[in-house]
Order: sequence, then structure tokens, then C-alpha cells
Amino acid sequence: MEEAKPPKPTIDPKPGPSVEMMMAVKERAWIDLLVIASAFLLLVPIISIHRVIDFMIFCIFALSFDLIYGYMGRLSFGHLLFLGTGAYSCGLFIKYIDKNPLLAILVGILVSCLLGIFVGLVVVRATGACFALMNLAFNFIGFFLVLSPLRDITKGEDGFGIHAQSFWFLNPANKTNMFLFALLCLLLVFFLLRRLTSSPYGILIRSIKEDETRVRFLGYNTYFYKWLTFTVAGTVAGLAGTLSALNYKFVNPNVMDVHGNVGVVFACLIGGAGHLYGAIAGGVAYMMISNYLAIHILRWEMFLGLSLLMIVFRFRKGIWGSILTLWDYWRRPKEMQPAG
Amino acid sequence: MLEIRNLDVAYGHAKVLHDVSFRVETGQMAFFIGRNGAGKTTLLKTIMGLLPPQNGSITYQGKEIAGSSPEELFLQGVRYVGQEKKVFGNLTVRENIQIAAYASHEPMDQALEKVTAIYPKLKSFLKMKAGQLSGGQRQILLVGRALVGNPKLLLIDEPTQGLAAVVIEEIGKILSGLKDQVSAVIVEQNLAMVKYLADRVYILKEGKMAGEIVEKSEISDTQRMEKYL
Repeated sequence: MEEAKPPKPTIDPKPGPSVEMMMAVKERAWIDLLVIASAFLLLVPIISIHRVIDFMIFCIFALSFDLIYGYMGRLSFGHLLFLGTGAYSCGLFIKYIDKNPLLAILVGILVSCLLGIFVGLVVVRATGACFALMNLAFNFIGFFLVLSPLRDITKGEDGFGIHAQSFWFLNPANKTNMFLFALLCLLLVFFLLRRLTSSPYGILIRSIKEDETRVRFLGYNTYFYKWLTFTVAGTVAGLAGTLSALNYKFVNPNVMDVHGNVGVVFACLIGGAGHLYGAIAGGVAYMMISNYLAIHILRWEMFLGLSLLMIVFRFRKGIWGSILTLWDYWRRPKEMQPAG
Repeated sequence: MLEIRNLDVAYGHAKVLHDVSFRVETGQMAFFIGRNGAGKTTLLKTIMGLLPPQNGSITYQGKEIAGSSPEELFLQGVRYVGQEKKVFGNLTVRENIQIAAYASHEPMDQALEKVTAIYPKLKSFLKMKAGQLSGGQRQILLVGRALVGNPKLLLIDEPTQGLAAVVIEEIGKILSGLKDQVSAVIVEQNLAMVKYLADRVYILKEGKMAGEIVEKSEISDTQRMEKYL
């Protein structure tokens, strides 16, 4: 081995995938938003507008879950805590303080965000099963709090009705108006999360998913970024909760029942964890199954189990992941094959 | 640059390093050799803040760093390249470099230039997922990534382990190009590499310092070192 000065190459002026991706995010964001909006608009004549609103709210929730599970690699069995917190905060605000729906949404988001900040401080220290179970424990605490100790204001198991007034462009009593508002929220959440996950921060949380210790070797305080991601996910879930409360005009403990967490995990898995489009595809697929299979089959949940087995053994990338794999396969030039 | 004094490290009750002392001057490459289980990797992990020392001191640039976290050490210019050749496999090669560039606030173009300068072939793999690279390419990427952000001290664990001869030669050239620019503590079993690059060689045996070779003529005598492997 002789000492040799390595040649000093010039940098390829063509932008790499991250730069391309970020540019594409900026340039094509409106196309993404148009595709999503068109898809949900097309669903309206096929299924009822009420259900489409429900689908969109669930998709917002699935997007928030995908941030911590799909992108950061932390499986939570208690994410419904934040949806429920958003729903209860919004509902209680309308019931006891002010009937302004927009203000109630902001309160719901803020309370969920604060809860995410405090719960996140504790749970993001854990990983794996411990993380999942700590979230489940917090979800149980929230569920029993609204069920029993706070029943004087939450009305316990019976729940309570919400009668919000219309304010500015938001009228929860009008289904078309509610549909447009939920769609706007979904598009906004998608756009923000797309920007976030395509940024250096997105690369960082994907790295944490792969190997957190090695991210620390690169000088990052991973605890802070995990906590931040958890809080953002909780806040977005809280928004979904507020919309759910306004859409149903009713809140009861079912909104944060721990058993409901299965649905969002399933949605992310079937759609393709770690892809925003996957969360939306999975959200719609799950809602279709849970809404329509239940009409024909009494114990439709059995099919969720079978589908999960199929995903685990044959379909691990989910709907969107499989589409991307096929796309990559067709597009990859031969020179991109790895050298030996 | 780096001075370790009377370092004891244990995993629970099992003591792995006993009273280890050594120093590395600025721009020097110190190699550690020894059999499997001698405590070489434990030593690097302790310097990098992954394991707490039981006793002893670790002084880096005149400051005590024992007990510092890996992220604090990174910001002080210490880089660790583990023996597992673990890149972020689901990120592209470019993103693997990008994440180091952001951490050290180095412009991406500059970081890319630095990494591709040591191995120009990487330019054609920038868009590829790092998990698709061969073992040698991953190791080169890891060494290149460690150079982002003007490091002062490299800790490299078995850089040539399990690699083909041609790749070992490539890594040798890369490390040789770094001589006098950064200090390095390298754990290595490949004596040809040690002979080629080392300014100092330390021999670890059963967690204890069994010898130190400083003279270049003695380093060239690989027979002396062989008996410790």
C-alpha cells in the first residue's frame, strides 16, 4: 500500500434525492393536495357525506400516528388518549364556556399539545414494548379519568351532547360545511407533515427509527427530537379529536377507549407505515372495512386479524409501500445496481 | 490530545479493563492490537461515552471527558466508527452524509465534497439506499461521514474486518491521507495495516496494557506483535 493523494473530484452539480425530494415537495405539493381532495370528493356520491367526513378525520388521526410509528419507529398502544383529549376539551369548552367551534378546536389542539408535552417527557425515554405499554397505561388513566373521577363534568359513561354555533366559515350543523372544513384540515395536516418529513428533521427521525445510538454518535440529542415528534403527533391527533366531537355533536368515553388503538395500528400497517400517502390509504381501507364489512358480517373484526396475518407474512410494505416498490422496480436504471 | 490514566471499566461485576493508561498526541495514529475479548472495543466505547469508567480519567484537549455523552463528544470533534459497519440502511447515501452535515453545521456541498474526495465512486451511489452498498463501501461511507465537520479525534473499531483485500487497500489509502490531519485511535488486527499507518501501537491482553511500541523500526517488526493476536 503506497501513500497516494486521493484525487479531488468535482461535485456532481445534479441535486441528490433529498434535494430533489424537497424541491418536489415544494413544486408538487399542490398536486398531492389536489389528488387527495379529488379522491375524497369522489367518495361523497359513493358513500354518504357524513361517512366521508368520518374517513377524513380518521385519516388525520392515522397521519399523526404514522409520524411516531412509521417515521420514528415507536409503536404506541395509547394514541387514542390524544384524540380523546382533543374531543373532550373541545366538547367541554362548548358545553361550559363558549359555543364558538373555532375557539373550541383551538382549545382542543392546545390541551392535546400540552398533554403531549408532559406525557412525552416520560414515555419517550422508553423504547419497544415499554414505550407501547406506557402509552397504553396513560390511555387507561385518561379513559378512567373521564369515566369516573371527572364524571360530574364529563357525564361519565353517558357522555354529553355538543351544540356549537356557527362561526365565520365554520358551521358544524351543516354537513357540506363540515365536510369542507374537515377536508381543509386534512390537506393542511398532510401538507405540514409532508414538509416536516421531507426536511432534515424527517431524515433525523427516520434515522432514530433505524438506530438511535448511532444518531447520538452524530451529535444529536435524540431525546429532544423524539419528544418533539411525540408532541407534534399528539397535537395532530387532538385536532382529529376536536373534529370528531364537532362531527358527531357528542362525546363519550368510547372516543378514548384503549381497544380503539388497534384500528389506527391496522390502518398504518395496511396502508404502509412510514408514508403519508400510506396512512391515508390505510385510513380509508380500515374505515371501509369497519363500516361496510360490519353490515354483512357480524364478527367482522375477525377479518382484521386475518388481514394482519396477511400483512405480516406477505404484505409487509402495505398498499403504498408495495406501489412504491413496483414503481422503483420499473424505474431503476441498471447502473444503479450495487457494486460487489 | 487524548490521555487516558488508570482506566478501569466493568460490565456489572465483570471487570474488563484494568488500569489502562496511554496517550495520543495531535496528528498521531495510535493502534490497539490484542486478541478477541482483550477489551479493545470496550476501550473505544468508554472513550466515546457509551460506557462509564469505574476509575481513572480520560482527558481530551486538556479537559476531563469521562462520563460525557456521545453527543457532547461529537460537538467537541470526536467521531466513532463502530465495527458493525452499520449505516442508516433505509436512508440514501446522500442522506447518510446529510445527517452528519447538519449535525456539524457544515454546508452539504462541502460535506459531499469531503466524503466523495476520499472515494470518488460514492458519487454514483448517492441516490442509492445505503443498505444496498457492499460491506467495503459502507465502511468507506462511515469513515467519510466521520470526517464531516472537521473532526479532531477519530475512534475506529476494526476498519478492515471482514473486507476484501482490495477494499482494505482502499481504506489504508484513505486513512493514510488523514495522517497528520486528525488524531486517531484505531483497533485493528490486520498487522500490515498497523505497520503501514501506526505512529504508536498499544497491546492489550486480558484487559491490561501488555506493551507499547513507539519506535517505527519496532512497529515494522510484525513478528513481535503477532504473538499477541
